[in-house]
Amino acid sequence: MTKLSGRQWLVVLAFVVVVSFTGLFAVRTVRRAIYWHYHQDEPIRPWMSLGYVAHSYGVPPWVLYQALGLPQKPGGPDRRPIREIAREQHRSVDEVIAILQDAIVHARPPYPPPGPPPRPEKEPAQGRSP
Amino acid sequence: MSITDQVLAALLVYGLPVLFGVILVCSVGIPFPISLMLVAAGSFVEQGEMKMWQVIAVASLAAIMGDQIAYGLSRWGGRRLINRLSRKLGVEENIKQAEALTKRWGGTGIFFSRWLITALGPWVNVASGIAVYPWRRFVLWDVFGEVLWVVLYVGIGYVFSNRVQAIGEILGNFTWVMVGLITTAILGWQLAKYVRTNEEAG
Repeated sequence: MTKLSGRQWLVVLAFVVVVSFTGLFAVRTVRRAIYWHYHQDEPIRPWMSLGYVAHSYGVPPWVLYQALGLPQKPGGPDRRPIREIAREQHRSVDEVIAILQDAIVHARPPYPPPGPPPRPEKEPAQGRSP
Repeated sequence: MSITDQVLAALLVYGLPVLFGVILVCSVGIPFPISLMLVAAGSFVEQGEMKMWQVIAVASLAAIMGDQIAYGLSRWGGRRLINRLSRKLGVEENIKQAEALTKRWGGTGIFFSRWLITALGPWVNVASGIAVYPWRRFVLWDVFGEVLWVVLYVGIGYVFSNRVQAIGEILGNFTWVMVGLITTAILGWQLAKYVRTNEEAG
């Protein structure tokens, strides 16, 4: 049986801690990778723009704009994050996310595809269209 | 709202200045969800909201500048402190050995800590500065490593442009796995040395 000094015991302890740490992060990495492999959708976060959510979920952006009663900006991309839109609409971020999730569900199978965007209106529609 | 959400929302609204500022601050050692931000920038490029060459140029420049600041502060600020402390503690010889080691393996360490083991980047900057690693060689490895890091992460974001959150989380965890593996290898080697010494003595 080998006898270890105090310093050597410290190295053994550090080794065990580091191996546990590495194992923990390796498991987390693999679990995440497997999870995302089987789940197409990532959760909607407050930093995301409507354009990004539409891109990520594979639905036309106008479906999300319409759900929130927003006109689509004609001049270039709309970079407002969801938290900004929530603030402008005096809604909570969770409420906005729930509206978007509902709109996404209705724009995907088994529901019929949403089709072309509606013609621009003079006054923006308020709330979700039926 | 988490710090990650704040940073990504700012990146979305303000674009390149936020990219520059956050990467600069991270290179000096302040922890931010930087891998996620680069992946997000790659996704915004794919969606036509940012330009690829601008993202790569700004992110690389910020990372290189941040590294130079950390190196400079450690070399000219930290060096004096280390000299004083080592004289007081009588460990001048050990410090010299550490310096020699950094000079020998410094280039590899600098290069890999830029893009593969990014969590160690700020520490390597400080170690290189304190060990007075030659500045020109530091810049050379730094530029290669940082440009590779930016191109790699922005490229991943571009390819997986609809999975930013997911990919960012995986990469964030992966860098810690790499840090853990390298530390495990170093400590394991040290333990093997102890066992060998004990066997020879016994």
